[in-house]
Amino acid sequence: MAFISSGYDPENPMKDRITDIGPRNYEEFYPPVIKENKGKWLYHEIIEPGVLVHVSESGDEVYTVRVGGCRLMSVSHIREVCEIAEKHCGGYVRWTTRNNIEFMVDSKEKVQPLKDDLLSRKQPGGGFKFPIGGTGAGITNIIHTQGWIHCHTPATDASGPVKAVMDDLFEDFGRMRLPAQLRISLACCLNMCGAVHCSDIAILGYHRKPPMLDHEYLDKMCEIPLAIAACPTAAIKPAKVEVDGATLKSVAVNNERCMFCGNCYTMCPSMPLSDKEGDGIVLMAGGKVSNRISNPKFSKVVVGFLPNETPRWPSTVKAIRQMVEAYTADANKYERLGEWAERIGWERFFEKCELEFTHHLIDDFRDPAYFTWRQTTNFKF
Amino acid sequence: MPTVEFQGKSFSIDEDGFIDNYEDGKCDEWVQYVKKEEGIDELTDEHTKVIDILREYYEKNGIAPMVRVLSKLTGFKLKHIYELFPSGPGKGACKMAGLPKPTGCV
Repeated sequence: MAFISSGYDPENPMKDRITDIGPRNYEEFYPPVIKENKGKWLYHEIIEPGVLVHVSESGDEVYTVRVGGCRLMSVSHIREVCEIAEKHCGGYVRWTTRNNIEFMVDSKEKVQPLKDDLLSRKQPGGGFKFPIGGTGAGITNIIHTQGWIHCHTPATDASGPVKAVMDDLFEDFGRMRLPAQLRISLACCLNMCGAVHCSDIAILGYHRKPPMLDHEYLDKMCEIPLAIAACPTAAIKPAKVEVDGATLKSVAVNNERCMFCGNCYTMCPSMPLSDKEGDGIVLMAGGKVSNRISNPKFSKVVVGFLPNETPRWPSTVKAIRQMVEAYTADANKYERLGEWAERIGWERFFEKCELEFTHHLIDDFRDPAYFTWRQTTNFKF
Repeated sequence: MPTVEFQGKSFSIDEDGFIDNYEDGKCDEWVQYVKKEEGIDELTDEHTKVIDILREYYEKNGIAPMVRVLSKLTGFKLKHIYELFPSGPGKGACKMAGLPKPTGCV
């Protein structure tokens, strides 16, 4: 398409420039019932999976229908969300912190037509556009990252594995049969954008090979001291190298010390490390952010490596299913996955989930690693 | 890598307009070329001071200075650096000084 100006004048970039206005105030977008009852809510109930009701001091009720969102959405999809909001909710809609979509109506009669409409909408391939669920003790949306769609440091994809895992666990999005809610997250490299470090089950992209060094360009593309300082294990040191007879400044990587985090590539484009066979997925489990009963926890590595199996990641899906089923069958009511694993002991966790324990799971990073070893005779055979 | 011709000189640049080789950028033609690209009307002594300090720091230390260090060395507050270089110290000043493109989660 030919160029169409928005009115911006490239000759005068600072002319009529508006800055620092921040986001729109959220109060502008409140549905009337929310605006009137703000700060006056008495209680709420989960009527059925995906449908909540909040009751206010004034007796007003607001019914919320939560539907799954794929997070990576086209404008046409968002327009369809707007069309639904227009039709049922007076044009108001909201997104949750796990990228689900919530439609709110102010009376019970409006809930059923909204639900029928949402469930009648399907993708051409057959998938639900707006599956209802994500409330209570079930499995809600997966917090995830960019993957091969947009990022340059991933070790796995994001949208693909998320789709595969949610397809497998789809029933649990629309029902509440678990002991407590189960949060699953994905990050495509161990920058851990999002919530993998604090989720009940976490999927994490992982490399297994040290970076390649593009000596010819390294000094030109990179600030070498930054690449050296980026390494958590001090595997990188400055070096002079001979390339085509010329002596160039570069770095040397001690492969024995490298644990493939990829931090140096983040800082230095001449140190790429992505690898088709080497890259894959690590699974972690047992994290949480809430203070309910026990303190927040970090998730712990429970599967050292699973290969990238495009497009459906079957072994990742299978391992997650094993954890979900073992947890559902064994944990007490209200017990999060991490609380369950700590109560029964991690040796029982591996037994019940039928996961293999390998030496990769034993912490060896600096002094704090010591505190993760067992300094007691309390264990089960 | 695309090449640009400017005032009789040619520069090899990347898709964001940063020069590939620091040594090639140490000339007035490069500064003039970036000035045009960055929409800076007039090159003042203050612009030159920032560029000189960036180059000096990079040659000595192998990295671009932290923003606070740049402020302290030049005596310009961040706000003033933005007035000089509307794209900011990274995309504007470092590009003009011929330093490598900033990396990390930017």
